[in-house]
Amino acid sequence: MAESVIKVEKISKSFGPVRAVQELSFSVLPAACFGFLGPNGAGKTTMMKMIYGKNTCDRGCRGVMDIFGFDPRSDELAIKNLSGVVPQEDNLDEELNVIQNLMIFARFYNLPGPVARRRITELLEFLELSEKTRSKIRELSGGMKRRLVIARALLNEPRLLILDEPTTGLDPQVRHLIWDKLRHLKRQGTTILLTTHYMEEAFQICDELIIMDKGQAILQGNPRQLLRDNIEPYVLEIMDGQSIDGLVSGDLLDSVRADISHEVSRLYSSQIDDLRRVAAALHSDNYVIRQSNLEDVFLKATGRSLNAAQ
Amino acid sequence: MPPSNARLYPPLWRRLYSVWFRHMRVYTRHLISNGFPPFLEPLIFLGGIGLGLGDYIGKMDNMPYLEYLATGLLCTAAMWTAAFECSYGTFIRLEFEKVYDGMLAAPITAENLIVGEILWAGTKGVFFSFAVLCVLSLFGILRLPNALIAPFVGFLTGTMFGALSLLITSYVKTINHFNFYMTGLLSPMFFFSGVVFPISKLPPAVYPFAQLLPLTHSVRLLRAVYLVEFDLLLFWNAAYIVIFITLIGFFAVKRLKKRLIN
Repeated sequence: MAESVIKVEKISKSFGPVRAVQELSFSVLPAACFGFLGPNGAGKTTMMKMIYGKNTCDRGCRGVMDIFGFDPRSDELAIKNLSGVVPQEDNLDEELNVIQNLMIFARFYNLPGPVARRRITELLEFLELSEKTRSKIRELSGGMKRRLVIARALLNEPRLLILDEPTTGLDPQVRHLIWDKLRHLKRQGTTILLTTHYMEEAFQICDELIIMDKGQAILQGNPRQLLRDNIEPYVLEIMDGQSIDGLVSGDLLDSVRADISHEVSRLYSSQIDDLRRVAAALHSDNYVIRQSNLEDVFLKATGRSLNAAQ
Repeated sequence: MPPSNARLYPPLWRRLYSVWFRHMRVYTRHLISNGFPPFLEPLIFLGGIGLGLGDYIGKMDNMPYLEYLATGLLCTAAMWTAAFECSYGTFIRLEFEKVYDGMLAAPITAENLIVGEILWAGTKGVFFSFAVLCVLSLFGILRLPNALIAPFVGFLTGTMFGALSLLITSYVKTINHFNFYMTGLLSPMFFFSGVVFPISKLPPAVYPFAQLLPLTHSVRLLRAVYLVEFDLLLFWNAAYIVIFITLIGFFAVKRLKKRLIN
């Protein structure tokens, strides 16, 4: 088994009274995609920023942070030199056009001119932005800006790619395009850290993930494994707030778990036939039986109520 | 095993240079709108003062008044540009455009970023005093080669006001707060630093305060070189400038860093 390239042990971070990250530990294998999943305010972004030194961990925090052999507290520049960062907000330089944005960044990495130009041409092609080389940033769509930020993060051929909600607010085509590119990079050996609140995204590209809530890890593991271990495989969703009183009774009480909310009631079971029996007894056909997914795990793990940050 | 080439990040001077270069690149992108006004301003001054006020005031401190004012203007041009760049400019990059967040993802530290910013303010000081120098010597108001000291003092002035403005910016919560800085500090400095009249004419109670203002020292330094009249007090002026840049720069870096790295 390969040795981990990122080791984080018992790292904490508070902002005033808010404990954003509490004694978080995880490790990441080379060329793996590691995901942080959680509601807004769970501490995902803070953890990512601590890795490249944009946030500092608590004073007196004794935890371990080993990023490719470097500690961000003392070797910030080495970590930044081997990483590419795609922050949550597209912080492109609006005063410069597409190619100038990339050329300026290439200078930050000290890439010689010809190398930078070659690399930029490749990356614009890779992210399907070649036609936009001379466009102003303002003229780009949300999806193009996102791809440009990813291109910028890839300039120095990073071993570690840090992506904070890379596809939030993008349409499905762009999202799938970005996922394809990330899979491609992973195959080439890039290690990827990613935060998201799309379960689909986590399921599609993460080899391992942490479900976080209120700064703590709630569940951790391979997405399929998490699904297998933490949730029944089938769900019956009953819409329109139909009453399910009396539907689950007798032997079904043992095999069916109910999660009732105002509008939608969800019944979970490992036996699809049990759910079909319940559905047959409903008065309306406004229901669906489907396989459970990470979203169900997530909601089960974090609870349905909203926290203050959401 | 750490990757062997990770520590091959750009050396310090390279990092500072790349921050400076970013600002240079953005500034020179709009060469007409950014490069023309610095030349226009002294022309306006020439028209306004030369055609009107100049006739009424003959000499100031044994210099023709126009020339006296012109030597002061070499410094105030640098002051204004550096002050605007590192107050409104920095605040916009920090809070609205989020440019620094992007830059800090590259191998650049917050300290590099802030020092690069101060050096850029110094550079703008050079450019703006140079513009005033060109126009006013073309019209024969400033004497050459004496006036060639201007870009050098412009750099010192720009650096001083770059550092000071960044320190102010580190306290500012909304962009409107800069109004206090502009009207409360910079405008009085324009009038009470020996630019328009000698500070020796100030009431004795006010005089020491004028000695505390940074602009006083750059104006005095510049006039001394321009007139080739040296005295021991110049050491105080030079020392003030060096200490001011070091001390204010240190606190600007320390405080602004807290806004960049949380």
